[in-house]
Formats: sequence, C-alpha cells, structure tokens
Amino acid sequence: MKTDVAVIGTGLSALAAARTIQQSGRQVVLVWPGLSSLYFLFATVDVLGYPTADATEPVADPGGAVARLIEREPTHPYARAGIDAVRAGTQLMLEWFKQAGLAWEGGLDRNFLLPTATGTPKPCCLAPASMTNGDLSRPEPIVLCGFTGYQDFAPELAASNLKRQWSAAEVSAVRVTAPGYGPDRLFTSVDLARSFEDATFRDAVAAQLRERLSGDTVRVGVPGVLGLTTPNKTFAAFQRAVGHPIFEIPTVPPSVIALRLFDRLRKHLQESGIEIIWSAPAHAAQVTDGRCRNILLKAAGHELPIEAAAYVVALEDWVDGAFRAGVHTVRDPFFHRPLAWNKVPTDRTAESLFSTQPFEQVGYALTERLQPADENGKAIAQNVFCAGGAIAGYDPSGTKSRGGMAIATGYRAAREALAA
Amino acid sequence: MPDTSTGVVVIGGGSTGAGVLRDLALRGIDAILVEKGDLASGTTGRSHGLLHSGGRYCVNDEQAAIECVEEGRILRRIARSTVEDTGGYFVSVTEEDREWEPRFVEGCRRTGITCERISLDEARRREPALSRQVRTVFWVPEDGHLDPFYLVVGNVESARRRGARVLTHTEVTGFLRDGDRVTGVRIKDSKTNEEGSIACQSVINATGAWSGLVARLLGVEVKVVPVKGTMVVLSRRLAHAAINRCHKPGDGDIVVPGLSVSILGTTSAKVPHPETLPIEWDEVRRMIEEGAMMLDGVTTARAMRAYAGVRPLYDLGAEAEGREMSRNFAVIDHQVRDGITGFTSIVGGKVTTFRLMAERVVDVAAGHLGVRTPCTTAEVPLNDREEPLDQLRHRPSLLGVPKPHGDEPPLQPLLCECELVRPQDVAPWFRDPAVRDLEDVRRRTRSGMGPCQAAICSYRLAARLVSDRGLDGASATRAMADFLETRWRGVRHVFWGSQLRNMQVTTGLHMELYNLDRELMKSPLPRPSRNLPRPLAGESQGGGDSAEPAEVAGKR
Repeated sequence: MKTDVAVIGTGLSALAAARTIQQSGRQVVLVWPGLSSLYFLFATVDVLGYPTADATEPVADPGGAVARLIEREPTHPYARAGIDAVRAGTQLMLEWFKQAGLAWEGGLDRNFLLPTATGTPKPCCLAPASMTNGDLSRPEPIVLCGFTGYQDFAPELAASNLKRQWSAAEVSAVRVTAPGYGPDRLFTSVDLARSFEDATFRDAVAAQLRERLSGDTVRVGVPGVLGLTTPNKTFAAFQRAVGHPIFEIPTVPPSVIALRLFDRLRKHLQESGIEIIWSAPAHAAQVTDGRCRNILLKAAGHELPIEAAAYVVALEDWVDGAFRAGVHTVRDPFFHRPLAWNKVPTDRTAESLFSTQPFEQVGYALTERLQPADENGKAIAQNVFCAGGAIAGYDPSGTKSRGGMAIATGYRAAREALAA
Repeated sequence: MPDTSTGVVVIGGGSTGAGVLRDLALRGIDAILVEKGDLASGTTGRSHGLLHSGGRYCVNDEQAAIECVEEGRILRRIARSTVEDTGGYFVSVTEEDREWEPRFVEGCRRTGITCERISLDEARRREPALSRQVRTVFWVPEDGHLDPFYLVVGNVESARRRGARVLTHTEVTGFLRDGDRVTGVRIKDSKTNEEGSIACQSVINATGAWSGLVARLLGVEVKVVPVKGTMVVLSRRLAHAAINRCHKPGDGDIVVPGLSVSILGTTSAKVPHPETLPIEWDEVRRMIEEGAMMLDGVTTARAMRAYAGVRPLYDLGAEAEGREMSRNFAVIDHQVRDGITGFTSIVGGKVTTFRLMAERVVDVAAGHLGVRTPCTTAEVPLNDREEPLDQLRHRPSLLGVPKPHGDEPPLQPLLCECELVRPQDVAPWFRDPAVRDLEDVRRRTRSGMGPCQAAICSYRLAARLVSDRGLDGASATRAMADFLETRWRGVRHVFWGSQLRNMQVTTGLHMELYNLDRELMKSPLPRPSRNLPRPLAGESQGGGDSAEPAEVAGKR
C-alpha cells in the first residue's frame, strides 16, 4: 500500500496529525495498532493544568503558560513543537470538533476548573460543552446527582471533597433512580448512556431530579452518561426537562465522554475518505540511506508493507501496547532500538503512585524537527516524525498536559511530514 | 477506648491466634483477640497458600510432615470453604533432584503421605505446562491450596458467633501484673492512639515472628528467628496442581495455584525485625527463573506483584538456620519456665498446622484455669455447616455472615471486576468494627487483588466509606489513596509487560481523570486518626464492657 503520509497511532496526536495532513490535501493512511488510549485516559483536552508537577495552583492561561514553559525549558517537547503549533493545532482541533458535530468549548486564553468524580477541581483547556456548566469560576450552587446502584459516580464522596475546596456556594448530593437500573442489576456507564437517549427514560429521571432541587440558580452535576451517539440532543433535552444547567462529570473506563469523542472523530475521518487500517501493529521499519522505505504491519494473516513519503509515529507509549517493556529494556516497535534500560524494574517507578513516574517519560529522543534521534542526536530516518506520548522526557500526568502536548506535537509532526 | 475484661486475651490475629480464639470459644472460655494490624496481615496473609501434604518436610523434618498430613485431612473436613483440593506434584529437574528421590519416597512412606510416581507422559497429559526439563514426577494428592485470609476470618467469625470479641488495629503495649501473675494487658488503638486495658486471667501469645517482642514486654525471652520469604504473583493459573521441586527445600521451588492466580515462592533470609521485609530484585528474578525450571509460561505470564512474608522459626537451640530449622512448633508455659503465671506462648509452626498449635496451647492455658473441656476444633465445621466449596469467589455467607440482599438475582453487579467481587460481598464488612481500612476489606473479599490492582474498585470502595460509614470525603479519599499505594508497592517489583501497560491506566485514571495527586497535595490530609469510625447505630458489637474482672465462662 502506498500513500503520501502514514500516521501510526490511535490517540489524540494521531488524530490531530491525520487531520492536519488531510486538510493540506495530501493522502494519508491511519494505522491503528490497538485500542485507542482515548478510551482510557481522555475526557478533556488538558494543555497545561499546572506549571510543574508539584505546583498546587492551577494555570489560569494555558497558552501563556506554555509560552513561558518553552522559554524556561528549551528542550521540553512543547518547545520542540513550538508555540505556533500549540495555537494552530488547538484551532484545527476545535474547528474539526465543530465540523464533526461535537460541541466543545474552551480556548488557550483560559482554563476551566471542573469538578472530577472525586470532587477535586481539575483545570482543563478544552472540554465538551456538556461539562462546562460545572466551571467553578461560576458562582452558582451545585447539586451532584448520582444513580442508585451506579458505582462509578458517588455524589456523596464528590460533594464532600468539593465543599472543602470550593467555598463560593453550596454543594450537596442527591441520588435518583434510573428506571430499570438498581443495585441488583449489572450495568455500565454505556448502558445508562444508551438509556438516556430514550425520552421516556430521560424524563423519568428529570422528574425525580426536579423534585429534589430547590433554588432557582442551582446547577446539577451528573456522571457522564447523557447519551452515546446523540449526545448534543440528549444533553439539551435532559437539561430542558430538568430546568437547570446540567454538567457531566467523566467516570472510569469505559468513559462515555471519551467514547463519543473517539468514535465521532474516527467516523468523520472515514466519511471524508481517509483509509484506516485497524488492529495492525507495526513491527518493523525498513530504513536505507537514512530514509524509511516502508513499515511492516501485522495484518490479518499476512504482513502488510506501507510505503509512504513520510511517516508520523504518534504512539501513546504504553496503553496502546506499542512500546514493549521487557524486564530490563524497553524497545520501540519500528527501529527496535532500546529506548530505556533499567537495572531493576523498580527504577521505572516512583515510590508513590501519585508522583512523577520515570516510566511515563520513556520514549523517543527527538531532533529539532521531531524526528526520532539516535544517541548522537541525529535523525534515525529523515522522513519519520514523532508525536504524542511516544516522546521522551515529560510528565503529562503531573502537569495535566497530555492532550495539549498530543495535539501540538501531532500538528507539528504532520507539518514536518508534509515538508519532507 | 473503654477498659474491659475477659477470661483470656489472645495476642495475634494470624492463623494461630484466630485458631486459639476459636478453640477457646468452643471450650466455652470467654476471650478477646487483640491484633495490632488487621487479621491475617502478618505472616498468614503473606504465605503462599500451600496446604502442605507434608511432602516438603518428609525427609528432614519428620514430625512437621506427620502434623501436616493429619492437619491437612482435618482441614478438608472442617474448613472446606478455605481449601481447594488441587493435589500436587513433586518434580525432579536436575541430577541432584534425582538423588533426592529415594529419600523423598522413603520419607513419604514413613510419614504416611500418599505419593505415587507417574510417567512423564501421564504427567504432561495432566499438566501440559510442565517444563521439558522435568525428568521424574510424583503425584501427591494431598497438597492443596489453603486460602489464608478466609481461614483466619472463618476462625474468627466462628469464635465471634460464640461470644468472642476481636480488636483489630489494637496493639498490646504492656502487661498488668500482680507480682508474678499476669492480670491483663494494656492496649492502644493504633489508628487513634487511644489507650485502654483488658483485665483477664490468662494471656496467650500467638504472635509468631513477633513473639519475642511481645514476651519482652513482660521481661521474658522467647527466641524466634524472623526469616523473610519473597513471593511473586502471576495473573493466572499455570498448572492445575501445586508444583514442588523434588529436592531439599530451597528457593523458588513451589508454584501454588491459588484461586485465579499462581504464586511463586519463596526465598529464605534472616531479617533483624519481622517488619523489615525489603523485596530485592534478585529474589524476584530467582523466583521466576526457578519457577521456569518446572513450568513453561512462568517467564511469559503476567506478573502482577511481589510480596514478602516472615516465617516465625523457633530457635530450639540447635545450630540450624533458616530452612534447616524445624517447622515444628512449641508451647512455652511461662509458669513452668519463668515462674510467671497466666502467660503462655505458642511459637514456630506453620499455617497448615495452626489448628493443632492452637489446641496444644489452649490445653496448657485452659489447664491452668481449671477448664477441662476437651478441644473440639477438629470436629466442628468452621462455618458450623457442611457446605461444599464455592470455588468462584468469596462470600461472607460461607462464613455465616447473613446476606443483606436475600435471594440472588441472576446477573449481578460487580464491585471488583477482576476478582468477581459483588457489592453484597463487601457490604457486611463495612458494618464490622474490626474492619478499619480498605486493605481490611480486601483481605476479606479479594477486591483489588486482580490484574488492575484496585485501579477501578478503589473509588467504589471509597464511595462506600462515605455512604455506609458516614466518613467525610477527605478521609475516604485518603483511604482510597492509601489502598492504591499499598497495591503499588507490590506492583513496582514486577514493572514490565502487561502490568506496566495496565499501570498507565491507573496513573492516568487517578492523576488525570480524578486529579487525585492534587487532592492529596492541596489538602495534605492527616493520616486519618479515625479512618473508619465505629459502625452506625443499631449494630451490636457483642461482648459486655463491664469493668469487673470476668469469671471464665462455662467451666464445665
């Protein structure tokens, strides 16, 4: 198979890269190695939540903060991508979301501060419109609403934590019954999301909720289950039926909010004619004379070579299974180079789960043009460019910057691929 | 905490202490068990869970082997819900192993262990994962898996139904004395630091590797040697039966299929203190390498975590160290040995023989109290019913804890998908005052013990701390973080392959979706002094709190 640019990856960076190339009018093939990390990790796009991994005060202006970070740390992947890529990539994605029918809000000039399912405020830059009524810079009191028997959103726990950290107004918790669901039935967020697309179900929940609400200004936080395939319509109808501003709060995988994003963008790419090769892990790159000639995929029952003028490697380090961690050595799936070596496996981790983890920082070292670099800093292949979690040396969890980094590097890597 | 009194105070909530408590209860003796951590949080819960047929000891430690044979048969009778009859194999790999074979066969014959040599073909038919290096195979049908958590909780629940009381997370800090007579213990709640005392007529020291430290509070010496053993948990069962190396007991020579996992064990190293149990990479590596000599798939299976436990070897004064020391046990009657009345220690031994150990020490202690009721722990079933083993999962109902939901609906919700734990399996424990944190819930239900290591169920359990216990969000969140950190400490030692991949979901979920790192950072929550308050009103806690010294009940 031949194409102009091959993008390998399943996450936000791969999507951003594919979209960038598509917008330029060139041909792109998207290769998915495994299940998308979007299913597991994403609900919002976090550009920069905190200036450092141990800062306690959230960033107010993510665009400005990234610019300052680039000045401070010239080898940071954000610096490699460049502030222009951050801005252009974010713009591209917001426009794409809109075109794909996803209602998202936000921009680089400010962070939302949204309550999580534990009640902790979390800064994020772009979010589905169904979440932004929860912004804690707004003064309205909050009622958190859970469903009887639904274990992945506990309004009592979340309300108690939120109350401690947010004093602008009252916070309280209620539980209502979702018709047909209860403590005796096995169900997931996805089941609830499908039921919410049914008007009778939705109205029955809304009616219970209305009875429990007092005060005109109150807004209601619910778990992120308001519709799966028709979220905009479902959300609007539910909000209307309740008669108060509603906001969703993302829950554990399978996270409905992440599913909506991933499935919609994937379909939109396919509708616009982009070829997607499913579940085909790439397991080798053939490099001669400093250029990658093709990559080899393990497709159903045979080996499929993909030949492109340029390649964007947009892997999400671990979750999509691209990197292979042996007991001592981590190898990449293309060039089979050791990306990290540890004397003992324990060295890949911090003592506390809640710290910056060395294993999160494993990835490709980069040239200035985002090419994977060898130990001397030279490009392994002139026409391969790297984006997203596969880049070495940053901590997306502590600084809450996974999404922004994915988009900026995805955009920049795609621009480089187009120029190559 | 209020002062109270009882007949006998049992110190130690491992298998021995739990067995002692049950033995006392069955003899009608009023008793309180005091444990500084949780039940089965010391040696017992950190064992590899092999119900020994005795084969491992039949050459070098004949007495221990004979006790294993007898106790194994008793446990299969009285504690069906804690034993899985996996059977076991002893396999020879090297020339040295071959030389051990005649001694092993002779040892089995002398100690009465059923043992049958089977052909390699037959062995491979039964256990396809047996390594090509295996040269000889003996079938030992009485090896099995003993669930250590369930065993301890089962003994304790059996005793509680007969009026015994349990204080977990309560440390004995000293003794009350009247001259050379022990009249009680001073206690401290290790979560709240509240102090109190229990007046009693007799104290039984069943603290295993901690026995020396407890005896020292009374100024007497008990020489136990704490010997560390490290184990590795694989995420699935590689073999149907327990696989032992047929050789002189050494490192990494047992693979035990326990419920949904395989446990590779173990090492042997003397440690200065029973709570100093660092896990070395070299030990983890050796467990995997040695296990791979017996079974294929050990190196490629998903390792979930590593953990270390401590054996309570009793120094009988011999020169022997570590594995050379007997796994036998001894009752120390301090009245005879040190002239102190009302204090008895039980030392050495192993989980498989806990019941016999309890019987022997209670014989001595009860004798001093003038109670002549014979021991019945070998006859009365642990759950007071004869019920077949439920292999699928742990159910409090098997321990005689009433089900909150009545009849079970067909497709039921799960709280921990990895280990198939349902909400109603955890619910009763949130009403139990002995359950003080989420690790305590884990030990009783297995929630959080599967491949994801509590990534998902920790939130659901924390939610129950708020809804079922009335905890505030800060304390519940801290409990959730503590629970995850405890799991993390074990996972770090096997941080490669699929487990590493899974852990990015854990960090992503808790740091990026929940922002839990900032929750912990922003409001540095104090270690909860009252992590789990006493249950809400309406729950009886059993036992009287009268300050009068209690008569030993039921001197029949």
